[in-house]
Amino acid sequence: MSEPSNSGVGYRVPGAGSDRRLAYLLVAPTVAVLVALSIYPLIHVVTLSLQVTSGGASRWSLGNFARLFSDHFFLAALGHTLVYAACALTLEFFLGLGLAVLMNNQLRGRSLFRAALLVPMMLPTVVAGVVWRLMLNPNFGAVNGTLRSWGLNTAALTWTSSPRLAMLSIVAVDVWQWTPFMFLILLAGLQAIPQEPYEAACMDGSSAWQTFRHVTLPLLKPAILVALLLRTMDLLRVFDQVFILTEGGPGFATETISLYIYRTAFRFSDFGYAAAMSFVLLIVTNIVSAFYIRVLQAREA
Amino acid sequence: MINLRPLLRYPLVALATLVALAPVYWMLTISLKHEVDQFAVPPLWFSFTPTLEHYRDAFLTRNFGHYLITSTIVAVCSTFCALVIGTLGAYALARFQMPRRLDRKLSLWILSTRMFPPIVTAVPLFLMMRDLGLLNTRASLVILYTGFNLPFVVWMMRGFFLEVPRELEEAAMVDGDSRLGALRRVLLPLVAPGLAATAVFCLIISWNEFLFALVLTQTDAAMTLPVGIAGRVTQYEIKWGVMSAAGVVAMVPILIFALAVQKYLVRGLSLGAVKG
Amino acid sequence: MTAIPLWIHEPAHKVFYLRLGRKTDDERSLAMELSLEPSGVFRIRYGAMNSALKEILSSDHRMRSVSLSILSGMLLVALIPGLLSCQRDPNAKSLTLAVNSGVEGDALKQAALDYEAQTGVHINIAEFPYANLFEKELIDLGARSRAYDLIMLDDPWFPKFASQHLLTELTPLLQQRGLKGPDEDFVATSIALGREPYRTGSLYAMPYVGNSQLLFYRKDLFAKHNLPEPATWNDALAAAKIISELETNGAPGGGKIYGYVMRAAQGNAAVADFMPIFWAFGGEMLDANYQPAVNSAEGIAALKFMLELGKYSPPGYASFNADEVGAHLLQGTAAMSINWPAWISSFNDPAKSRVIGNMEFATLPGAKNPGQAEIGNWLLAIPRDAKNKDAAFDFLLWATSAEQMKRSAIRGNPPTRKSLFNDPELVAKFPAYPTQLRSLESSRPRPRTPHWNEIENVFGIYLSKANSGELSAEDAMNQANTEIGKILERAK
Repeated sequence: MSEPSNSGVGYRVPGAGSDRRLAYLLVAPTVAVLVALSIYPLIHVVTLSLQVTSGGASRWSLGNFARLFSDHFFLAALGHTLVYAACALTLEFFLGLGLAVLMNNQLRGRSLFRAALLVPMMLPTVVAGVVWRLMLNPNFGAVNGTLRSWGLNTAALTWTSSPRLAMLSIVAVDVWQWTPFMFLILLAGLQAIPQEPYEAACMDGSSAWQTFRHVTLPLLKPAILVALLLRTMDLLRVFDQVFILTEGGPGFATETISLYIYRTAFRFSDFGYAAAMSFVLLIVTNIVSAFYIRVLQAREA
Repeated sequence: MINLRPLLRYPLVALATLVALAPVYWMLTISLKHEVDQFAVPPLWFSFTPTLEHYRDAFLTRNFGHYLITSTIVAVCSTFCALVIGTLGAYALARFQMPRRLDRKLSLWILSTRMFPPIVTAVPLFLMMRDLGLLNTRASLVILYTGFNLPFVVWMMRGFFLEVPRELEEAAMVDGDSRLGALRRVLLPLVAPGLAATAVFCLIISWNEFLFALVLTQTDAAMTLPVGIAGRVTQYEIKWGVMSAAGVVAMVPILIFALAVQKYLVRGLSLGAVKG
Repeated sequence: MTAIPLWIHEPAHKVFYLRLGRKTDDERSLAMELSLEPSGVFRIRYGAMNSALKEILSSDHRMRSVSLSILSGMLLVALIPGLLSCQRDPNAKSLTLAVNSGVEGDALKQAALDYEAQTGVHINIAEFPYANLFEKELIDLGARSRAYDLIMLDDPWFPKFASQHLLTELTPLLQQRGLKGPDEDFVATSIALGREPYRTGSLYAMPYVGNSQLLFYRKDLFAKHNLPEPATWNDALAAAKIISELETNGAPGGGKIYGYVMRAAQGNAAVADFMPIFWAFGGEMLDANYQPAVNSAEGIAALKFMLELGKYSPPGYASFNADEVGAHLLQGTAAMSINWPAWISSFNDPAKSRVIGNMEFATLPGAKNPGQAEIGNWLLAIPRDAKNKDAAFDFLLWATSAEQMKRSAIRGNPPTRKSLFNDPELVAKFPAYPTQLRSLESSRPRPRTPHWNEIENVFGIYLSKANSGELSAEDAMNQANTEIGKILERAK
């Protein structure tokens, strides 16, 4: 994360003894809570994942990890999650960037529009799921109803119940809900860009596209990376909307990794295997976030 | 800048607004429609006879009123706890230098805990709550949401503190105030709007949380609104009206809150990384 | 509008004010008072600003501390009741039931209200959709959080709970009340479900709703096309073909009538609709050595037959659940289906049905083997760690008594007592009862294994994939067999 600009060392009090003690004292509760609710559970995940329970007794084993590689369902769920994340991220990024550029002009009622775009993003994800279950219902949902009233044949458009369209449907719902997020962050980034580089580019006689490519994008890069990082993390953990919209179906077409872990743990009571899958998900998430943070830091250096 | 002609710009903006709002509006109409109108073909977007029967059904005959109370209590308590703990931590990280850049490392570590997918810790936290005998209590949700909100509070408040010149506090300290006295009397009032915005974000995060509320609650005693709504969704025959009514009620406070902190929205959404 | 919350201590109760108005000294400002009384009750009052409040608010010095007290206000308003409510209900005269949301759970909910009125025992209901009820019960019983005193179980879940010793044995409780065992009146196939091992073991659950599958068919259409009541699956297929081909605009409103409708959504739905075909064709899920055998020649033939029937089912049936199937039958757009008796009463309800008087119910067709329905009883059981076992058992006995079960039957749930299937009043209301009893007595449970939920999940996924055209019947059954094998292997 980028430091706020005025965080110079000069603003800090050189640590006098009692002040230092006070500092530790003040930060201790935060650290304690996070150790209890994040670090301890992580250690627990690792120990759980290394235990296999059979016949009522558990023993140490790598069996859960071995099982991962032969479990098509796990691999499929991981695949679905990655496909889902990649599709939604790409769409949200380009749509959000487009909207941000569009709105980074003099525009009457811009604040009104911004407020309107807040609505999908602030909805509880469960409610967003409900909204789209209503909209996508093949028989009386508003989407098919409206298409039908335009004279289109909607017999094949069964959305979340069709193996072919289900993934598309849940991606579309995510794009609907989270494009505003990209838009807001990128718009803020655009507005923070000073005027001078543009004036310089204008004098060089660059075309609009060249200016965008060589001036705007590089300056927007930090905001883009932050937005992509946060969205990626959220996409990799997707659970709520899918739970409401499809519960992983039809068949296994939209089962995401979070859903599969949930099912394994809380329906099949196989905590060890769920922990092993959690561990893999954590590694994947860490690799992705480390990649983004490296890019961010490379820029700062 | 790419210079789109305004003539092209407005229809695009209007279209995006329409796409963003139409589904929510549709849910609102479903919640207000008699059942016959819900199934009408073609869909009735505007002309129907409104009714409040689904709201009555949800909140008087069903237990949604109770879920609403639970959601409120859990969101408010966890926000409060996270604010108190996190603001103190943020103050320490913003104002003190620790040896070997420990302050910076701590800040990044605190942020990184927020990157964990919740399902990863769901199993151990479930087992932990079970061992503490806290399953199916509001307290368990308060504790967990405090933990979720904490990194967020620390990063937001740290950013706000760093923006306030240190000289102001020093002046107070010269006047005989203690460090914490200066924090309370000088610094906190100055960052009060930021504190309020942070609080609102925490409320939103807690209010919307679903996975842990689903896992940790077994009866109406501790069930939150999202879990209550989800419980009606997958039913045999789906009560669309009741579900929509509850959805509208779950949405309204969040939207009001979100509009109230529009100014800090971008900063809140990006964990303080981008200033809007 | 500004909202300034203010925290004031009062001896009697805690108050939290919210001022709604633009200016601090605005006489017209409204104050909203949220007060929390010692009993934990919230009260909300609206009124004009009182002068004391105004004085505090208008004082500039205090304004700052007022805005800082937002948080302390929030804490005290919410934390106190929040933590108070965490306490467990110490009142022994109170029971918590976990029920299925739907007609079966509704009947028990109604019964609970009656019981409460009669005895004063307060009953809390925790209601969940079918898909989540099992998880909730397993979590509660497995984690011993003791939230539930009585649970409703679908019978295939029972082996899981019984094998983990999570339920209370009922025979000692019966004996305490001077009874030797469960009433002889219960249908043998129903009471057998609550025993572990099946049929012969100790009793851990009592049957409450006596569902078993029936073949639903449209007698008007069958008569019109001179079709006999299907005795074999081939009859059913032939009838489905004829109706699909001839009734292209026979549905109310002029649409096509599909010859058959089934639910092939993954999970419980696909498996429930497939098992009777599978059994009739001679398939067995587990062989004598407890090894999976779904990919036997018989099993594959059964799935191929299901896909044949699917050709006469409405498009998208591979993701249908009970609600879609019910809608097709009620709207008159499908002519035949395997379904549960819970739907029967809906067909004569003019508010729901467009096929009043035209639906007939039969026992399931056979093929190589005689037709056998899948049994799907709802059982009542008491968690081993329940807080109020005795009170829960009293309620359980009361609810499964002939008198109360009759009331549940009138509410649309098939009973599990022979006497009620023969009760003249009930038979007059539900003419299918004799058929239902025949179906129930000859019915068969799903394989009794503690791993049924996992097996059903996997098997359902492959059945759904075969029906949606993603996999051939052979591939689906072979892959399902491998996956079921893995589940059983892990369980060893």
